[in-house]
Amino acid sequence: MIWVETIVNGMLLGGLYALVGLGLGYAFGIMKIVNVTQGDFIVAAAFLGVFLVPWTPVHPLLVIVPVAAISFGVGILLQWLLINRVLGQDPIPQILLTFGLAIVLRNGMVELYGANSHSIDVGELRFMGFDFLGLRLGVLPVVILGIALALFAGLHLWMRRSRMGRIIRATADDHQVAQLSGINYRRVYGIAMGIAMALSAVAGVLLAMRGSFTPYSGADRLLIAFEVVVIGGLGSFWGMFAGGIILGVTQLVALKLDPSSGLMWGHLMFLLILFLSPNGIAGMVRR
Amino acid sequence: MPLLEVENLKVSYGDFQAVNGVSLTLDEGQTISIIGANGAGKSTLLNAISGIHGQKTGTVRFAGKDITRHRADRIARAGMTMVPEGRRLFGSLSVEENLLIGASAGRAGQWTTGAIYELFPILGELRHAVANSLSGGQQQMVAIGRALMTNPRVLLCDELSLGLAPTIINDIYRCFGAIRSTGVSIVVIEQNVTQAVAAAGYAYCLLEGQVSLEGPTDMLAMDDITAAYFGTEKTE
Repeated sequence: MIWVETIVNGMLLGGLYALVGLGLGYAFGIMKIVNVTQGDFIVAAAFLGVFLVPWTPVHPLLVIVPVAAISFGVGILLQWLLINRVLGQDPIPQILLTFGLAIVLRNGMVELYGANSHSIDVGELRFMGFDFLGLRLGVLPVVILGIALALFAGLHLWMRRSRMGRIIRATADDHQVAQLSGINYRRVYGIAMGIAMALSAVAGVLLAMRGSFTPYSGADRLLIAFEVVVIGGLGSFWGMFAGGIILGVTQLVALKLDPSSGLMWGHLMFLLILFLSPNGIAGMVRR
Repeated sequence: MPLLEVENLKVSYGDFQAVNGVSLTLDEGQTISIIGANGAGKSTLLNAISGIHGQKTGTVRFAGKDITRHRADRIARAGMTMVPEGRRLFGSLSVEENLLIGASAGRAGQWTTGAIYELFPILGELRHAVANSLSGGQQQMVAIGRALMTNPRVLLCDELSLGLAPTIINDIYRCFGAIRSTGVSIVVIEQNVTQAVAAAGYAYCLLEGQVSLEGPTDMLAMDDITAAYFGTEKTE
């Protein structure tokens, strides 16, 4: 039973990992841009969450709403003011730009908050648990998985059904031809980056509610995001979700067997999947 | 005043001068064709006029406005769009979604999805099919429909016949009458001379980036066209 509980807990954590990857994968799927800033931005969003929680009405969990809204704006400005200037065939300028921004962001946070560990206080919720089919589960991890699932499903539906979602998909297919229909693809890219950053920010806040973070956590977060996206098969929504679950389960099962292994087995699992199916889970299904 | 006026347009890719000083005019309601061999600069010319290709000198005036420096999306919203070479549909979108993207230009007019399905009934049946799954001819219809959905005043068509069977090419060109009757002015690019001459009232022949011959299609002799097309001396 203890193993079942570990696996279920791994899935709960994995849903959140999937959300960490979603922002990165979404931006890449649409613009073919790897925004390296997103790892450190996840941490910055967590700091923003810490700052805003005291002013959040009803319940601290709702802090994700203002953080997402602000991050949406930051993402749009980042794209419109900076990344749109380095668009082109060559991916190196984009990576250099976002890498540089990530360094500025990280050191700015160290300067402001020091290297100490922080966490977002959600009060009682953090310690509440319930019994389910003989399993003892935490309420917060279940709620977080619910939020992750809702965001995946919501984004999927919005992309399928809405007018803007359709325009974003068309722009992702062929941004040059989209212009012939009067679409300013640079503006569309801004909206897509805003959504990507908002998703990353929500993931960052939820991570900070479940555990703790320091200004240096960005690199780990970015690595998880990359692994989720690559395991999932670039640009596939539900592949990414499965990728997150695989990482989460592997990590918790491995920690049970070898408590000092940290994230090592998760990374090894990533390498194994990459070895078996270079196109990730989506690639496996397509084959 | 012509609806579209191109003056001494020069376009280059790096060191290569693909279009070297082309001038042409298109009147409201007129159809003109631009013919020329592979590499004569036809597509480059159209890409430059539509705003897709930005590296150019000279002037492009549309409805009396200088639009030489305008972006393609702005030009499309002003009422000039292109059916690109090779169709280039949004492959992951359905037929209907491709058409609705055309409506993003925000121009009101008589071209709606209903009107497109009337023009190409087969597209109505295939409206929920993914664009990538269609045959070449059907894809070309979607590409034309998508462009019409912007309710353009000028429609630029790049090699509609490319890679299509002759009977299908005839089907595609048959729709021109219906399109013209709604007041749309058309610029057609073709390698297929017969088709181009039949479709238009006035033709330009491009050779190595320059106009080698122009005139009303009923005044052009086939010999002259052949000479201008290949850059050879006229055979007597």
